[in-house]
Amino acid sequence: MAQQTLLSPAELAYLHSSLSLSPPIRPDGRTSKQFRPLTAETGILPGTNGSARVCLSDGTEAIVGVKAEIEKTVDPLGGEHYQEYVKSASGVGGGDAEADRSAARGEWLEMTVEIPGLRDDDAGTVFLAELLREALLADGEFAKKLWINRRFHWRLYLDILLISPPLSYPLPLLSLTTHLALLATRLPRLKSEGDEDPMFDDDWEAAPFLYPREGATTGPRPSITLLVVAVGDSILFDPSKEELAVADSALAVSLCEVRTQREQGGMEVDSGRELRLVSMRTIDPPSRLTPPGVPSTANLAASGTSDTTQQKQQQRAEEHPQEGVWKAPLGGTRFAVLDSIMQAVLEKGGVADEVLDGLEGVDLA
Amino acid sequence: MTSLKRPQGSEQLAQNISNKVYVRSTRSGKVQKIVREVYLRTDIPCSSNLCRACLSQAPRNAVNEALPFVLSARPAGTKSYPQGHYLVPDTNALLNAMDLFEQSSSFYDVIILQTVLEELKNRSLPLYNRLVGLTKSEDKRFYVFFNEFRLETYINREANETVNDRNDRAVRQAVKWYGEHLALTKAVQIPAVVMLSDDRDNLRKARAQGLHASSLADYVSELEDGDRLVDMIAESQSQAQGGFKQASQQPLYPEYYTSSRMMTGVKAGLLHQGIFNVSPYNYLEGSIKVPAFPKPLLILGRENINRSIDGDVVVVELLPQDQWKSPSTKIIEEDTITKNENADTEERQDFVSDKERKALQEEVKRTQKASGEGQLQPTAKVVGVVKRNWRQYVGHIDPSTASKGPSQGRRLDSVFLIPMDKKIPKIRLRTRQVSELLGKRLLVTVDSWDRDSRHPVGHLVRSLGELETKAAETEALLLEWDVQYRPFPKTVLDCLPKEGHNWRVPESKEDPGWRDREDLRDLLICSIDPPGCQDIDDALHARLLPNGNYEVGVHIADVSHFVKPANAMDTEASIRGTTVYLVDKRIDMLPMLLGTDLCSLKPYVERFAFTVIWEVDENADVVNVRFTKSVIKSREAFSYEQAQLRIDDESQQDDLTKGMRMLLMLSKKLKKKRMDAGALSLSSPEIKVHMESESSDPIDVKTKELLDTNSLVEEFMLFANVSVAAKIYEAFPQTAILRRHGAPPKTNFDELADQLRIKRGLELRTDSSKALADSLDKCVDEKDPFFNTLVRIMATRCMMSAEYFCSGTQSYPEFRHYGLASEIYTHFTSPIRRYADLLAHRQLAAAIGYEAVHPSVRSRGRLEAVCKNINVRHRNAQMAGRASIAYYVGQALKGKVAEEEAFVMKIFSNGFVVLVPRFGIEGLIRLRDLADPEPESEYDAETYTLTTKGDKAVKVELFQKVVVRVHDDKDERTGKRGVKMELVSA
Repeated sequence: MAQQTLLSPAELAYLHSSLSLSPPIRPDGRTSKQFRPLTAETGILPGTNGSARVCLSDGTEAIVGVKAEIEKTVDPLGGEHYQEYVKSASGVGGGDAEADRSAARGEWLEMTVEIPGLRDDDAGTVFLAELLREALLADGEFAKKLWINRRFHWRLYLDILLISPPLSYPLPLLSLTTHLALLATRLPRLKSEGDEDPMFDDDWEAAPFLYPREGATTGPRPSITLLVVAVGDSILFDPSKEELAVADSALAVSLCEVRTQREQGGMEVDSGRELRLVSMRTIDPPSRLTPPGVPSTANLAASGTSDTTQQKQQQRAEEHPQEGVWKAPLGGTRFAVLDSIMQAVLEKGGVADEVLDGLEGVDLA
Repeated sequence: MTSLKRPQGSEQLAQNISNKVYVRSTRSGKVQKIVREVYLRTDIPCSSNLCRACLSQAPRNAVNEALPFVLSARPAGTKSYPQGHYLVPDTNALLNAMDLFEQSSSFYDVIILQTVLEELKNRSLPLYNRLVGLTKSEDKRFYVFFNEFRLETYINREANETVNDRNDRAVRQAVKWYGEHLALTKAVQIPAVVMLSDDRDNLRKARAQGLHASSLADYVSELEDGDRLVDMIAESQSQAQGGFKQASQQPLYPEYYTSSRMMTGVKAGLLHQGIFNVSPYNYLEGSIKVPAFPKPLLILGRENINRSIDGDVVVVELLPQDQWKSPSTKIIEEDTITKNENADTEERQDFVSDKERKALQEEVKRTQKASGEGQLQPTAKVVGVVKRNWRQYVGHIDPSTASKGPSQGRRLDSVFLIPMDKKIPKIRLRTRQVSELLGKRLLVTVDSWDRDSRHPVGHLVRSLGELETKAAETEALLLEWDVQYRPFPKTVLDCLPKEGHNWRVPESKEDPGWRDREDLRDLLICSIDPPGCQDIDDALHARLLPNGNYEVGVHIADVSHFVKPANAMDTEASIRGTTVYLVDKRIDMLPMLLGTDLCSLKPYVERFAFTVIWEVDENADVVNVRFTKSVIKSREAFSYEQAQLRIDDESQQDDLTKGMRMLLMLSKKLKKKRMDAGALSLSSPEIKVHMESESSDPIDVKTKELLDTNSLVEEFMLFANVSVAAKIYEAFPQTAILRRHGAPPKTNFDELADQLRIKRGLELRTDSSKALADSLDKCVDEKDPFFNTLVRIMATRCMMSAEYFCSGTQSYPEFRHYGLASEIYTHFTSPIRRYADLLAHRQLAAAIGYEAVHPSVRSRGRLEAVCKNINVRHRNAQMAGRASIAYYVGQALKGKVAEEEAFVMKIFSNGFVVLVPRFGIEGLIRLRDLADPEPESEYDAETYTLTTKGDKAVKVELFQKVVVRVHDDKDERTGKRGVKMELVSA
């Protein structure tokens, strides 16, 4: 989780109220749906199967490397490794590859996140990794890409590295970098057939992309996870550190683009991008941990009134928030807020569209 | 949101750095992406003696010397390139015509590009090794240019460019650079840089770029003996240019499995991998020994053999049980069945020709009749080849396939070559010089065997000379058995002592040569060898000690004093492995100077030796043993016969003779002990060809006689070998060089035991070597003393062959030498002619602390490789020796007819094999040779009896004594002279 911001309750209250305006006034002057500018490149680590680097304008930067390794698929029921092959070669359990593919398991994707200054078994880091992993696997298609045959699969190691101090909650940064790295990932071209021991083409140029690029490709693309905060009635995308510090609630919204075969002579003229919401998770915003402000009426140093009345007043102040006095947000997110977040994410020309368009502009090395 | 693209070449040195990316699959099944950075340089020289610029900046070594430049300043010219030329072959040119590049008449000043070298390494390792050999020879002027590391010749792979196209482009780039670079030298005559390729696309592109480029055939045709050379271009290439005009017809052979399918299948136990062996009697029957089955799998018929050639490592698939058969009992020879095939036109319709089919049909009928269920053997078919073990084959052109018409000038003809080795199928050759090649021994290479070609396709390497001339036949058999017969190169001769024949044991004992050597010059030592022996490895002495025991010494030539580990001479010897003895020729493992002079323990001169001295008691039991380097002086060199005479001559009472009598007495005791322990006395027919010295034409053939003195020497050599083996194993438990002889699997003797039981009512017990030795002793026939020898010969063939090994690779019980019934054994006593002995000498020297252990004697990996090589060499040397004897027996019988006794060794349904003890040769007698037409016959496999009917009615049984007429015979069709046998009476 992001570091504590060093803002006073008064500052927090001020920020909160300006963000709650309609339209909100953000400290860096962005509109509510605007992303901070970022630079991105792929293929920066030559030794990996795919890699990407993304650098946000606030100076945070992340690198993702993808490595693939061949692994024997262990039959959960146990049994000889070659049994499957013997069966299929003798034509007994000859197979429907599609059905076999569904035996693919999510555990074939392994993810680690490293954030400077934090232990790798830190709860926040592990949570972050799991959040990203869950979003990737949620489409149900990802693991199938790792299926080679009934005896072998790829194990994918996705290593995410934040190389700058975590100035804000790095979730969107890491997610976008992961997305790009996966788009740039290639697996060696398989030469063998069926359930044989896999053999691969030694020409790297011939290696196909995990997510094919050209031509009519169908199926989901790697998901992206966006961070959205609600402040009052405002919904803010890509919150900065300060904005997170006053958020009423924070949500991680994962979505992916699904490409479908364009129908022959179809009448549709729009971009044809179909977005699918894959998951949504609330995140404990740091604002919960901020110290509350004290109204001047209750301020002992200012009024100098007796103890008992002061205590009463303080109690009252806690029950009824006062304008201009900071109080850490409590409770959940209102349904209307959730609804409007979903709207904002999924609508045509919405935030997701904008992000994906931006990512498509990145040169995939 | 912006995308960042790293600008190319923004950094100062970016253009000097590139990288290479590829996928590597490791043996353990891992798949890795490998990225190699390539640092490009500008100081890699062109190595042309014309160029001064490169010379000045060529990289220098620590003593500030650059490598000398290779390419001549005035290379040879041709018609098209009168100004002289450098050749730059691309990979396919080398693949198709490596033999051309090895010619001494042309192909000088060749630039081998790194791109090409690496590609060749991936495509064919043997060719790569030959090319590397060429680049090392100084007179051929081959230069390896590292174009992938030179800035100007390095190219990046373009998008959607295949690796091949990229490499072709790299070759063209290098040719272009060389042309431009040489132009800068401002020499009077600038040689043309000519790309040689057989890729038409590459040639076209090169010409479009304005480069010199030529196809192999075009280039060769301009050379002086172009017609001869053009035959050396591999067949596959001329085929591409429309050689055999064959419409895309249906392939004749089944397709091979993919390698991944084979590998998985073998691992899963569905397929089996092994070495393909062809039966010497039936070219359509092969067998393959696989670990999963106790008996070899049979592979029957052309389609199942599926283009494998004897020696290939193949993968086979088992056939269903209803197709299992027993091994054939019929002789099927390729040349008789496919006699009238035409090499030009392929008769597609009958891929398996009617005659072949008929031959197999009869087979099947017979096996079904025999119905002995237990006799059936699993059959299999070849589904893929893991490794081709094609070598160069010697043979001659089948004259019937050469065109009958008048010699029509230089027409390209297709002919069949019949290899000398019957196990190799006919090879189709295309040549323009049929008339010259007829009747010659030829060396050919097999290029390919495609699915749609009935026979493998090859090309001519060279002609060895007329058939039946001694030189050609000797060279042929050396080539067939892969014997290194070239003279020793200069680097090897440089390792010899400077003094040459004048080398003497140093007089002063202060000399380093005397260090730790015992002076044994006063001992009465003598050597006993075959008459005329020049390379005397061993000498002996014995004397009575004051305590009543005997002192016995075996002195072995100290070869390791002259051959130091890991120098050129040692490397050459380890490759040769053994000296090869032919009837009229000896191919030495070590240069003559050492073998027949400096090392040889000649009489009357002082020599260095490695000595084993035992103290033994009355019963020849060892009291103690010691090993030492020594200096000896042999008193006499006896032949076996002379030694025997001297021992038997009672009047001789000198100490030397007494010592020899002691040796004989002890050797008999040693032999008895060995026999009691179960040592086998085995037999193989040994004969000697007597030569008339001047013409060296063989005049007579004799079987070797065995005297007591033969076994005297043999016993002490065995004794020494066992003692040394124990010593080096004690010193080097992991790396000692030992020799083992595995116990043969019981099934090996099944057939012989069955035959003996049925035909003679004898029992062959094979549970131990002792039992076998005893039961062999009982296999006697009162009327026929040779019967026992015959059985021993047949038993010998059921055995495993002995092998050298490194002690760390086997467990102690496996060390056993079955034939000698010894727990541990090595070879120590013939270092002049066997490399294994030389290794044992070095190990023993280290074991007794005489010298430090050299790394090459300690490294197990290297020793294993050496063992593997010398095992093969040893076997080949034996085979070559036998082949030489067979040839000379044929020559000795030339024009003579002899009627001889013979014994039936093997029976087929249409013929039988006999052994003629007098000549030690085997001959095949076919029924069709008995009478014309072939007499009707009946073969009873149960009783091993073959009965013929009609006017030539005979009954032939196994082990039967028959009389045969032996005469030489020159087969008019094949031009081979062989021994022909005819049955006179059964």
